[in-house]
Amino acid sequence: MNSQKLEQLKKHIKKLDSISTAPVIMQPLLETLHLPSDKISFEKVVELVSRDSGIAAQCLRLANSPLFTHREVGTVRSAVMALGLQRVRSMLFGLCMNRVLPKEKWVFEPVAFWRHSLGCALVTQRMAQKIGYHEPEKAYLAGLLHDLGLLANSLLYTEDFRKCLAQAQESRRALHICEDEILGFTHCESGRVLAQHWRLPEDMCEVTSLHHAIDSVPNPSPLACLVHLSDLLCRVRFLGYGYDEILAVDLGGGKAWQVLAASHPQLAEMDVARFTMDIDGAMEQIVATVDAVFGPGHKLVPAETKAQSGAH
Amino acid sequence: MPIDIAKENPTQTPAPVSNDPAYLKIRDVIYRISGIYQPEEKLYLLQSRCARRMTAVGAKSPSEYLEHLTSRGNRDAELRLLLNEITIGETYMFRHPPQLEALRTVILPQVMQAKGAMGFKRLRFWSAGCSTGEEPYTLAMFLLQEKEKQLAGWTFDILATDLNDDSLNTARAGVYGDYALRNVSEAQRQKYFKVHDEKRLQVGDQLKSLIRFDRVNLSDDSKMVFLKGMDVIFCCNVLIYFDLASKKRVVQHFYSNLLPNGYLFLGHAESLFQVDNAFRLVHFPGATAYCKAPTDSAAGGKK
Repeated sequence: MNSQKLEQLKKHIKKLDSISTAPVIMQPLLETLHLPSDKISFEKVVELVSRDSGIAAQCLRLANSPLFTHREVGTVRSAVMALGLQRVRSMLFGLCMNRVLPKEKWVFEPVAFWRHSLGCALVTQRMAQKIGYHEPEKAYLAGLLHDLGLLANSLLYTEDFRKCLAQAQESRRALHICEDEILGFTHCESGRVLAQHWRLPEDMCEVTSLHHAIDSVPNPSPLACLVHLSDLLCRVRFLGYGYDEILAVDLGGGKAWQVLAASHPQLAEMDVARFTMDIDGAMEQIVATVDAVFGPGHKLVPAETKAQSGAH
Repeated sequence: MPIDIAKENPTQTPAPVSNDPAYLKIRDVIYRISGIYQPEEKLYLLQSRCARRMTAVGAKSPSEYLEHLTSRGNRDAELRLLLNEITIGETYMFRHPPQLEALRTVILPQVMQAKGAMGFKRLRFWSAGCSTGEEPYTLAMFLLQEKEKQLAGWTFDILATDLNDDSLNTARAGVYGDYALRNVSEAQRQKYFKVHDEKRLQVGDQLKSLIRFDRVNLSDDSKMVFLKGMDVIFCCNVLIYFDLASKKRVVQHFYSNLLPNGYLFLGHAESLFQVDNAFRLVHFPGATAYCKAPTDSAAGGKK
């Protein structure tokens, strides 16, 4: 992306504040993103959740989903307890984002977008735990937020972005490749600008900007590598962008795996097959959880704009 | 031997899960020896399979069974019996559509590009351990359909081998009932099958002419070295019955049987763990395969 385009993008993203209405709890939440987990107040989070009935309901649904539930959870307080502060905080953030975008600006199905984001959050966290990454909750948040740029593209470049999506669906190629052709930049680049505009922590900015571009820098962070792999895994396990992408992925052969294996001895001892079969095993629960929160099987592109798919 | 890992019955409530760490050890023994892996979320399946073997050998606890399973005298026989419990012996056509989708969208275009550039327009497929024939007939139907599209102008042949003569005779006869045909569409039935009797259909000559059935012992080195020039090999849930040393040998043969850019498909829960590092594991939507040559990390989704 050239510098002129970048400046233009930054200018557009500044306009976001005037066209979108963020939920009232958004700002206090953004502030908590910078706090380490032991500094977040339980009461504060319960209060934020309780302030918005839609968000409280989704919180309860997640707490009662197969991934977390051991007994029935009936109150916001016990839901927050069951999910854990970090996870609730990340989830709240996701749910807020959902509202940032006015309905008519969603080029794709909001539910399909959040299915991929929550799916990626859960897979990233699972991978983090598996390899002994020191902050699995941060991994969750990174997975949840990695595609922020799609929101920006949808909101600010609505018509062109619609073309990107149609072309990706028709050619069955990756969305970011079609974005690059049509918009001249990808959701990685707009994601970074948006993440910086919202003053998200630098590691989150890096994740949004590198998750499709790990090879473009000499030393990507392990967090960005985790999200890169998790995004790919989601896409080959039907938690992708909601269309039938043609994809052949060599997870163990890329830079992301090498970077992680170098910094996490547990991964170096694992073989790719077993690692992914483990994630596959968790996938069923992850899909069930995503379904519990957002409802099952939504496609990214609404039915009326969907091209005839005769592939299956 | 196209058996598949027994799937849970979705209407059945899972049995109560035991936390006995012996099950994890049993899981690891199975993985180390057969390559079959059960993730922790699926351990309850393993437990119900073990339960039957525990009753049979009179083991009172999983750790007692583990001891039986790993003691020198019983190990090979008991592992085989346990694997029989874990896998089921029946299969049907078009059992795993994501594999065919990977062939259609990535593997065939790749192989055709490489071969076409050299002026070759012939493809070779091998169903190694074809059992009663469902797999090679599926492949034949799939390839005939592709011949009307991307494979126009190309020819192909399918080698289908098994060790078991009874299975091979069944495969050659090609007579199938409802279970084997459950995923075969009405149009495909009309096109590729003829009525055999009230309940069964028989594979027609067009499909049969594409497949050569042969008895091959995968451990027979003298025969394996002559099976050259393969583009894709399917060997699903066959190697799980081999010990590590023989498995390594078979997989090395597969590697040289395949042309560069060729692919090997294994069963759903199988892997080449500790068997071979020359192959590269490639993930497709809903399927995985092993590729002979270093591949570009993605076809449509280059990162």
